[in-house]
Amino acid sequence: MLLTRTLKSSTFRVAVICIAVFSGAIVALLGFVYWATADYVHRRCDAEISADRASLVQAYEKAGRDVLVNTINQRIVGRGIEAGIYLLLDPSLGVLAGNLKGWPPALHRIQGWADFEAPEAAGHLLLRGTYETLSDGSHLLVGRSLDDLDRFVGIIKTALLYGAIWALVLATVAGVSVTRRTVGRIEAINATTRAIMQNGLGTRIPLRGTRDEWDHLANNLNAMLDRIEKLMREVRQVSDNVAHDLRTPLTRLRGRLERAYHAGLNPEGYHALIADSMRELDTVLGTFSSLLRISRIEALDPSGAFRIIDLDQVAGEVAELFDAAAEAKDGHVKFQSAGRVPVLGDRDLLFDAISNLLDNAVTHGGGDVHVTVCDNDQGPTISVADRGPGIPLEERPHVLKRFYRIERSRSSPGHGLGLSLVTAVAQLHRARLEMEDNSPGLKIRLRFPPVVTGSSLSVAPGASGTYC
Amino acid sequence: MERNARRVLVIEDDPDTAEQLAECLRNSRYEVDLAVDGRQGLALGLITNYVVMTVDRMLPRIDGIEVIRRLREDGIVTPTLIISALGEVDDRVRGLRAGGDDYLVKPFAFAELQARVDALARRSTTAMRETLLRVGDLEMDLLTRTAYRKGRAIELLPKEFQLLAYLVRHAGQVVPRAMLLQHVWDLHFDPMTNVLDVYVGRLRRKVDGERAYPLIHTVRGVGFCLRAPD
Repeated sequence: MLLTRTLKSSTFRVAVICIAVFSGAIVALLGFVYWATADYVHRRCDAEISADRASLVQAYEKAGRDVLVNTINQRIVGRGIEAGIYLLLDPSLGVLAGNLKGWPPALHRIQGWADFEAPEAAGHLLLRGTYETLSDGSHLLVGRSLDDLDRFVGIIKTALLYGAIWALVLATVAGVSVTRRTVGRIEAINATTRAIMQNGLGTRIPLRGTRDEWDHLANNLNAMLDRIEKLMREVRQVSDNVAHDLRTPLTRLRGRLERAYHAGLNPEGYHALIADSMRELDTVLGTFSSLLRISRIEALDPSGAFRIIDLDQVAGEVAELFDAAAEAKDGHVKFQSAGRVPVLGDRDLLFDAISNLLDNAVTHGGGDVHVTVCDNDQGPTISVADRGPGIPLEERPHVLKRFYRIERSRSSPGHGLGLSLVTAVAQLHRARLEMEDNSPGLKIRLRFPPVVTGSSLSVAPGASGTYC
Repeated sequence: MERNARRVLVIEDDPDTAEQLAECLRNSRYEVDLAVDGRQGLALGLITNYVVMTVDRMLPRIDGIEVIRRLREDGIVTPTLIISALGEVDDRVRGLRAGGDDYLVKPFAFAELQARVDALARRSTTAMRETLLRVGDLEMDLLTRTAYRKGRAIELLPKEFQLLAYLVRHAGQVVPRAMLLQHVWDLHFDPMTNVLDVYVGRLRRKVDGERAYPLIHTVRGVGFCLRAPD
């Protein structure tokens, strides 16, 4: 099973290709060494033969054949064939002198160079020599043994063979182990995906603690799974809440209509009933729109529509808009800003988020609400502070969830989506949402990442260090 | 081709919605032609000179945006209201960029539809760019940004001034909330609170408080209307 997977794996194929290339390189290298050495040996051999031959021919031309026979005999006496090959034949091919028993059959021309086998039966001795016919018709052969070269070729061949075998063995072992390792890690990931498809998102890819690229991949995949699981959990929770929050008003609506259907009201009664029903339906539709809007915001790609927005200007407009509402509760929205505070964002969404913060502050706070915009070393910041009852510490993480409403505000209007929208907008803008006690009251802060214009961070002059 | 001042083209594929739209517009004394898909709508739009068209964003055969683009390419400038279930900013921008003049998101109140069609119909007949506006005893000077009632100056914040000017420009018409948010605050969403009503309430106190007669009226469930008594 593992073997077939190993053989089929792409890593193994790559390993095989590498082995082939590597072996080719070894063969080519040894081939070149062989060729260069053989060439050198041949040339040295030829030079020796030429010198030898020249001295013999000179002796022959000076003193005649008998001296030549003597000279040859001197050279071969007491020496093996390795020291040199000499053969002198009379015109009728009778041996006059030399250490070969007869004229090698390969040499059939009048003169020239040749590689040939020794005519003796004693082993396959490779020889090289030059031969010619002298002026009196006798034949002279001068040569050397190529035995050295032969042995060298033997060494090269052995090296080639053992080298190739070793290289193959090592490469195969390396290839298979690398492939096994790769296949093993991929198999672990595959097993996890299969487990996820069968049993849900609970499984994670095991890490080996090697901090290599596989652990990185596994880490990233695990992080992705965590995120998906979190989103799925949220979706499940939201759909439960949607079911609850929409079913309640719809049930109320249905009950009212049913009662009216059976009761038989007068025209004014019907009129009031229809007006109430429409209001109820508008609430449901509003909840729907808010939910859709939040999920759209969560799915938005910020890079596309974002531009530089003056946070102080948007906040100022929202503050002015809500001042009228605060007046109705005997308070004011007091706006303060440290000059121009640019952020990268979407104006509609920022307006919406700040509106929600102010709506909460005015509705639940009562009295004066302070809106402050500043730009310090922690980035552009807007804070909304009220003097209301605040949010207990343990409730703070929950109020950002969809449909969550703290106990005492259950009866007041609203659908518990305002801060979820603020959270979604903050996340989209990579802003931090902070809550703190305003003793009494609540202070919510949105800290935006600094806007990078050109190479310098934009910090409004004189605004650094402003606390807000 | 004579422009029929009260003839409206409704391109809508859902028969029930189409019938409701038509009835609502007939109640405002418009004559209504219905087209059930993009191709029919395009054909009608090309041969008849309508005062306003309403186009559903998603249509069979030819998409609503495409219908508008082709009409504009052929030089048809009829003011167009895009009606869509897609309400997000990018959809609006695409619709308006293709040549739509206004955008209405489903679900909507019929009064809002009437108000928007009225505004478009009026736009196609009148062009008003005066700098001095007057309704009843209210006067507004857009250059000096001052407002007077019976000669007495009214102290207004910048947005309040813009809001009042918009209402005065559309005096006698019902101006839906979303239109105010769009034109005064440049917002393309409904904040889903009554904050605008409270804001207009304060403006009304400044404009109408202790005067001979009120000018700013709330139209329940839709928006506001500024009008002087006859």
